[in-house]
Amino acid sequence: MNRGLLLAGLLTLFLSAPALAHFQMLYTPQSALEQGGELHLKLIFTHPFKCDHIMDMAPVQEFYMVHQRGEEGKPQKTDLKEFLKEITWRGLGDAAGKAFEAVLPARVVRSIGDYVFVLVPGPYYEKADEGYIQQFTKMIVNVGGVPGNWHQPLGLPAEIVPLNKPYANWTGGIFRGVVMSNGKPVPNAEVDVEYLNFDVNMAANAFEGEAKIKAPHPAFETITVLANAWGEFAVSLPKAGWWGIAVPDVVELKHEGKSMVQEAVLWIQVTDLP
Amino acid sequence: MKRFFALALACGFLVIGGQSLAHTPLFACFDNADGTIFCEGGFSDGSSAAGVPIIVKNGAGKVIFRGELSRTSDIEFNKPEGEYSVLFDGGEEHSIEIPGSQIFK
Repeated sequence: MNRGLLLAGLLTLFLSAPALAHFQMLYTPQSALEQGGELHLKLIFTHPFKCDHIMDMAPVQEFYMVHQRGEEGKPQKTDLKEFLKEITWRGLGDAAGKAFEAVLPARVVRSIGDYVFVLVPGPYYEKADEGYIQQFTKMIVNVGGVPGNWHQPLGLPAEIVPLNKPYANWTGGIFRGVVMSNGKPVPNAEVDVEYLNFDVNMAANAFEGEAKIKAPHPAFETITVLANAWGEFAVSLPKAGWWGIAVPDVVELKHEGKSMVQEAVLWIQVTDLP
Repeated sequence: MKRFFALALACGFLVIGGQSLAHTPLFACFDNADGTIFCEGGFSDGSSAAGVPIIVKNGAGKVIFRGELSRTSDIEFNKPEGEYSVLFDGGEEHSIEIPGSQIFK
């Protein structure tokens, strides 16, 4: 065995592995709200299970919400870029990177119904892959219990469309979704799932505390399932908290002379039985 | 055959009855800070609350305004002086009353 070849192979594995665990976060502490009011959001690009890397986010391309009250209500899109403010987010150890926050005034999140938040960050250059990543990220908040558009596709280039309410999941339950691209199911997609494994300090803009789950093996840090021929997938939810679901490499294209992959991310919140 | 239809009708009634019991009315009101109150309603299954009567009473329990939720399940009315309450009159087990003291801007 050529030792150089072996070393190169191991190095490639080592360098490429972290790229699988990149998750664009769109975070707020509670997604099922009894009533509307000022809403605080943090936008962080990280590895949520380890929180040991904070990637510098590129300027945000799009940040908006689509609100709908009731199944028969009309979806209303509101641009939220005016509320974005650049921050530095601190991860574990010395990890720190450029992130964003948004404080939405009460008048924006006042009505009852679903609020589908969508973040389209600028392409992030991943040196290890010599290419760009762009993750179309969704997070859904409900106010007051009246559902709306939580299950409606938005026609994004890369999108996870929920088949369960993302804000109403009991610990131990099953979450199902459909991987889509421009409104059409993506067959047999790989779906990566990571638990947000550390506390979020909203005031200090930092991850902190001890890991909530100790993984017995690297394969448990990012759980991988495969979608079926209709793009549908199911994942179990064994612990309360936030779970990130990402679908890598939904669309492959070019950006500034380099390869770029467009990926889908959806955040869901899991709650313990009282 | 007659027994089959009788059973089907009974099952159908149970399903419809179950659905009507399964949705919970939800109602919220806000003070627009311009002398008006905005209220909106709905049900936990996402169904519309259009046409549900809205009754506003003063502190003595006297009705001072009657209206109904619009096609978009909302309504706006002038803010009453003094104590008041707003009733979402969805019928038995589907009514919600919000005291004016709990309606914020």
